[in-house]
Amino acid sequence: MSAHSITEPSSRQKWVAGTLVILYALITITPLIWILMTGFKTPPDSISYPPKVVFTPSLEGYVNLFTTRTRVSPEALAALPPPANFAEEIVRNRNMVIAGPSKFGERFMNSVIIGFGSTFLSIFLGTLAAYAFSRFKIPLADDLLFFILSTRMMPPIAVAIPIFLMYRNLGLSDTHLGMILLYTAVNISLAVWLLKGFIDEIPREYEEAALIDGYTRFQAFYKVVLPQAATGIASTAIFCLIFAWNEYAFAVLLTSGTAQTAPPFIPTIIGVGGLDWPAVAAGATIFLLPVMIFTILLRKHLLRGITFGAVRK
Amino acid sequence: MSQTTLDQAAQATPPRAARRIKGLSDRAIAWIFVGPTIFLLLAINIFPLIWTINLSFTNFKANRANRAVEYIGFRNYERILTDSDIWLSMQATAHFLFWTIFFQVLIGFTLAWLINKKFKGNDLWTTIIVLPMMLSPAVVGNFWTFLYQPQIGLFNYVVAFFTGADPSSFEMLGSVNLAPWSIVIVDTWMWTPFVMLICLAGLRSIPDYIYEAAEIDRASKLRQFFTITIPMVLPFLMLAVLFRGIENFKMFDLVVQLTGGGPGSVTELASINLKREAFEKWRTGYSSAFAIILFVTVFGLASIYVKALNKVKER
Amino acid sequence: MSGFFSGLVRLRRGSWEMVATVLIGLGVVMLMQPFVLWAFTYSFITTLVGTVMFIIVSHFPE
Repeated sequence: MSAHSITEPSSRQKWVAGTLVILYALITITPLIWILMTGFKTPPDSISYPPKVVFTPSLEGYVNLFTTRTRVSPEALAALPPPANFAEEIVRNRNMVIAGPSKFGERFMNSVIIGFGSTFLSIFLGTLAAYAFSRFKIPLADDLLFFILSTRMMPPIAVAIPIFLMYRNLGLSDTHLGMILLYTAVNISLAVWLLKGFIDEIPREYEEAALIDGYTRFQAFYKVVLPQAATGIASTAIFCLIFAWNEYAFAVLLTSGTAQTAPPFIPTIIGVGGLDWPAVAAGATIFLLPVMIFTILLRKHLLRGITFGAVRK
Repeated sequence: MSQTTLDQAAQATPPRAARRIKGLSDRAIAWIFVGPTIFLLLAINIFPLIWTINLSFTNFKANRANRAVEYIGFRNYERILTDSDIWLSMQATAHFLFWTIFFQVLIGFTLAWLINKKFKGNDLWTTIIVLPMMLSPAVVGNFWTFLYQPQIGLFNYVVAFFTGADPSSFEMLGSVNLAPWSIVIVDTWMWTPFVMLICLAGLRSIPDYIYEAAEIDRASKLRQFFTITIPMVLPFLMLAVLFRGIENFKMFDLVVQLTGGGPGSVTELASINLKREAFEKWRTGYSSAFAIILFVTVFGLASIYVKALNKVKER
Repeated sequence: MSGFFSGLVRLRRGSWEMVATVLIGLGVVMLMQPFVLWAFTYSFITTLVGTVMFIIVSHFPE
């Protein structure tokens, strides 16, 4: 019976386990599929009873997401020239005309700028610090590392009060720079911890050989260590990016206009007469999809990032 | 691998000069490298924290910055720690914490155990299960309010379909009895994969030979499960529980979007209550004291977490 | 068990960390329990003592 190994589960066990896991996966992914589907429904379809699984797809949600519209009288509508594109056609079917672009594009770009800005900064500073912690004797290194980690555990609302006051005095509230610095401060702890783990695994002999060859420490760092740590740096960067992308508490308290990111904005999308669910779902789809794709691409490196490096593979 | 690195190192070595110029001392480099990080954390984490401690002894109100600030000693702490509203929000937090951890450990461990049977395609399905926890809690939480709509929501429809109840007869978010459970459901949906991944790492850290030895000793499968699997996974499970505990103790984004603390204040968790005190009632001194209480609690739990983390890392 | 007490007397890290951990845990439970108000009132000081103790004793020798 057991030609291979006695600990290998039988094929029947595997079949049962597989079925149960797939069942859970299907249930757990239903809300996400529902977001995707709702984005392509018309507003009446989205709130129909029973919930519609089969429907005629429409881009109305996406059009509503990116535009602001005003209602016009049927006579005025009839007097207008024929619609120039599909978006106008969809909007006119609801007795409305496009008044201008919505703020979604802007908010999305804020998320991109703040996300990438803070990721770059935290990786840059984090790599330097992680290298120092990994290779040099730093007094009270354990305490410093714990201090760095503990800053990530702070409840955002608890530090938000003085940061709010501080930013108000410095003129940093509702600015990109302010949010980038803030997210960098939160992300850097994760970056240092993860990167220290990655750098610890690079044998010291490589650098020592380079040092003997006459490299300075600095050259040894960026010509020998950095290329070796590239994969680790990349996966740490994705984690920092996802955190900054998803962050809500600081964003909602410290930004309201120019630097507002998408998470506080998407829930405020409202249509004419009640919440415009297809537009909300469209916004959510555009916002969540990049993270889903990253997750699928990055699944092998996932574990280490979310466990603060407790689990290595 | 090492050969090519050494070759690269050799080629990139500047001739001559290198041996002479050794650059800065290691000690100086260490401080240059660590310095900016420490500075940033001091400026954006520690300085505000000290400021919060200072504010917590005052009656400062941020919306009336011109009013004279008085130091009132421990009065804020006394008032918070005898305030029944805050006590209630702590109990709401406890309910949320207890049940989310309970369900997440139960479902997460079971899933990890099933996935560890290594059926065909388990990688793909694991990734799908992990998706919810990578997404923005605020955006997802906002969409769940749609799923929870009494008449048109998918959640209500599905529950009604299986129980035969009328889908408009219960309001997951609007009813005092159901709202605390509706946030538990969404948090469990979102964060079970986290517990699952850590358990999976724990299960995979158990070497096969232990089971093989048990098999030779004719230990039953059930016995193996309780004497090998559970004890070996336990440190990992502790880590997951502590981490989820800390995260849910300061839970804000998901629940704010789902219920906003309502109906009444039955889902007003500690952080939501704090936000209301600080940024709606503008009782800055009072809420600073509240923030310090939450902070010390999280800091205490974090110390235990780091201890557990180092224990797991040593294995 | 006797190892635990001798660790306390000889100021060893393990035993004292255990005491601090228990204090922190106790403080957290007191903070969130729904039964008695005075336990809630004294929860903060318990957690604080536990946390400060944890920081101090983590510098004791193993």
